Amino acid sequence: MATDSPRDPQDVGYTLPAILAVAVHALVVVLSLISLPTSTAEPDSSSIVQATLVGTETFTDQAQQVTEQQAAMNRAAEPEVADPTPEPEPPATDTSQQEAQQQAAEEAAQREAQQEEEQRALEEAQARAEEEAQRRAEEAQRLAEEQAAESQAREEEAQRQREAEEQRAREEAEAQRQREAEEQRAREEAEAQRQREAEEQRAREEAEAQRQREAEEQRAREAEAQRQREAEAQRAREAEERRAAEAAEAAMQRQLAGEAEAAANAQQAQQAANSFINIVRRAVEQAWIIPPGASNAMSATIQVRLGPSGELLATSIVTSSGDSTFDRSAMQAVEQAAPFGELRDLPAEQQRNLRQFNLRFTPGDVR
Amino acid sequence: MNDNTMSIPHLIMSASTVVQLVMLLLVVGSILSWVVIFQRSIALRRAKQEYNQFEESFWSGVDLNELYREIPADDPRHGAEHVFQAGFREFNRLMPKTRNADSVLDGVQRSMRVAWSREEDRLTQHLVFLATVASASPYIGLFGTVWGIMGSFQALSMTQQATLATVAPWIAEALIATAMGLFAAIPAVIFYNRLSNEAARLLGKYEDFAEEFHAILHRNLQGRDGKPNAS
Repeated sequence: MATDSPRDPQDVGYTLPAILAVAVHALVVVLSLISLPTSTAEPDSSSIVQATLVGTETFTDQAQQVTEQQAAMNRAAEPEVADPTPEPEPPATDTSQQEAQQQAAEEAAQREAQQEEEQRALEEAQARAEEEAQRRAEEAQRLAEEQAAESQAREEEAQRQREAEEQRAREEAEAQRQREAEEQRAREEAEAQRQREAEEQRAREEAEAQRQREAEEQRAREAEAQRQREAEAQRAREAEERRAAEAAEAAMQRQLAGEAEAAANAQQAQQAANSFINIVRRAVEQAWIIPPGASNAMSATIQVRLGPSGELLATSIVTSSGDSTFDRSAMQAVEQAAPFGELRDLPAEQQRNLRQFNLRFTPGDVR
Repeated sequence: MNDNTMSIPHLIMSASTVVQLVMLLLVVGSILSWVVIFQRSIALRRAKQEYNQFEESFWSGVDLNELYREIPADDPRHGAEHVFQAGFREFNRLMPKTRNADSVLDGVQRSMRVAWSREEDRLTQHLVFLATVASASPYIGLFGTVWGIMGSFQALSMTQQATLATVAPWIAEALIATAMGLFAAIPAVIFYNRLSNEAARLLGKYEDFAEEFHAILHRNLQGRDGKPNAS
């Protein structure tokens, strides 16, 4: 029977079914490959919301770019603004005001230009968005969904306009803040300049007084020399005196120069010193275990001496709280908190000043 | 780019070797099951047509000897024709040898049962393969998926940041194995049920025909037996 089956005309062979089966699988594979592009193409034509969302995204991007450009331009303008204003301010405030006005006018012009650009960009974007919306509305007409699409488009446009306005307001506020910051900086610089100049004035006056005093001495010395020309010993003494005076003068001048420099650096140094003191204070606060018996009225002052690299050399009690455990806890806190390596970051003069300082310990705070 | 990396051919090509072997096995099983589906569908449809034709000619009132002589002896037929041929041949052979009607009918019935059982074997041929594919391919696909996910977790342990983006391609390509298993299994289940039902109905018709033919022979023998008994 089994041998008969191939001979049988009724029996079905396997070539046709095999071809059909392979065809079925090929069809499935082709369908799975074709379905991918169609699925990606569908959302493009279907919904309006998605497309307009993309539109607003590009919109905000453009606005951001505009603000960035503005910020960059402002940053470029900063040195120009900062340099001229402090110099002419003390002698002639009019010119500086004029310049400031000019500056403001320029800035306003720039801002206007930028706003115009922005406006143009916005209009273009709007025009593009409107075109897209129109196209989509036509599609919607074809789909008999005209009204819904239009109302949606209108709403979205209003939304976009509102967003644009907000964006503009935010930019203006930013510009205002920048301008204020610049004015603040300029004022500070002017003040510093005035101080420096006052100091220079003082130095000049002192130098002049010194010169006058010197001239008088010279005159007196000449008179004396004329009077006592024969006394060799006296002349020698006079020469010695002169040499001493010159040395004193040189020392004075050096001191004056140092003072000017110190005054210039004083603020910066003060800040650095404050920050260092703060660091020390915080470290000591963290390390301080307040003894249980301590009351708020107690206070102890500890003198701390540091080595050049911030290591603790010695601590000593300046004013005791009267409670020895309290004093010891304060000293232990300083020992725990040491070394203060931040000392090395300070300028050399400050280092010398801060090598020795006092800390006042009161429960709840360290001063 | 995303389409390219996540497309199904790309996922299949970038799967691990074991998963690819599983997929290959499933594709082969699917193709073979579809071959069986087509082959059996065509064969069963032809068998049904043939049975209808034969039944029509059998009940058209033609003489059974004529009908038997129309079938060439060296060309074995299938279906009801085969049952009829086997039964009538046995009847003709036994008739000269014995006058006992019961033994003749026994022999005829036996030969028809043999023919019927051969027909059953022929009709349900390869259907077991369909059942095997239907029941086993989901498990094979699941094995591929589990293996792929194991690999994905092993690779995940190497990476420093375990984001969804690093896991997703692995799991996607692992899940393809399950999808292919189901793709092979679902048609196999459906067509196994359909084809086995068709074959069972056809075999039931053959059985009915065999009974009817047996009844006809029995009637004839009763008539023939009656004469000698009466005379």
